[in-house]
Amino acid sequence: MKILQVYRSEPSEDVKKLVTILNRDRDADEFKLYVDNPDYDALLQKIFANDKTVCWW
Amino acid sequence: MAADPNKLGIFVTSAQNMRHILGLAEAAKRAGKTVKVFFTFKSIHLTKSPEFYALSQLCDAEDIAICADSYICEGYDNVNDIPRGMTDKQMRTQAFHGAILAECGKYIVM
Amino acid sequence: MESLKVYILIANRVYNDGIRSGLGLAVENHYAYPVIMNGEFPRMTEYMTENIAWIADMEGEIFSCGADAPEDLPEDTTITNISLEELGERMREADIIIPYGLPKQAHEPPPSCSE
Repeated sequence: MKILQVYRSEPSEDVKKLVTILNRDRDADEFKLYVDNPDYDALLQKIFANDKTVCWW
Repeated sequence: MAADPNKLGIFVTSAQNMRHILGLAEAAKRAGKTVKVFFTFKSIHLTKSPEFYALSQLCDAEDIAICADSYICEGYDNVNDIPRGMTDKQMRTQAFHGAILAECGKYIVM
Repeated sequence: MESLKVYILIANRVYNDGIRSGLGLAVENHYAYPVIMNGEFPRMTEYMTENIAWIADMEGEIFSCGADAPEDLPEDTTITNISLEELGERMREADIIIPYGLPKQAHEPPPSCSE
């Protein structure tokens, strides 16, 4: 299972704990949207390369 | 019907990610993928932005819709004030979200 | 299509509409699990109470994570307490996870919108 964690804002402690559990024993990747100029082509590529995407607040 | 592996569903639930939604939709077009987008609850305010019109022009009519109940709950007129780029047939129910899950091989929340 | 397990995480007091979204998916034959985070409970209007009961009827469940569910809930309204760790473990089996709306506000709302 390949899972992608996307963050729309800096993750809270609760989000970090949930992500740790969700990523356990999985091939995990992440993408930060809360930067000045997100690379949407790179995000799209990651979404299609992973089985599942979770996009946090 | 099996989900289309080249189709990205975008479920929009908040009113502040329009640049991300449009950015992803433009990236999808460049990559030869399609998107299917549903705007619900407070996110319907995004339909008043110029970026929303640009998004509406990137999507087929059956692949972009607004939750009509949310639109009305937020004070807009769903008959006389349809967002630019849309028609009354794109004012839909939560069933459109179900259609996204059925049709799209990939899915993201905004 | 197969029925999906969908978790809808509600962390912000303004975004309890996620429960209605859950009902929308339950009607589409999916398992809806709205999770109210850190005590951001909705006002228990008749509409909200009916939605919660209907989700339960459709084999979904409403959870509360980070705060105990109120004890004075209307009859036929069940909200199950769940720890963050248990929620994470359950969501490993999820097909879809929806962090709904906005994150929790850092400050209390002013009186003009606190009810």
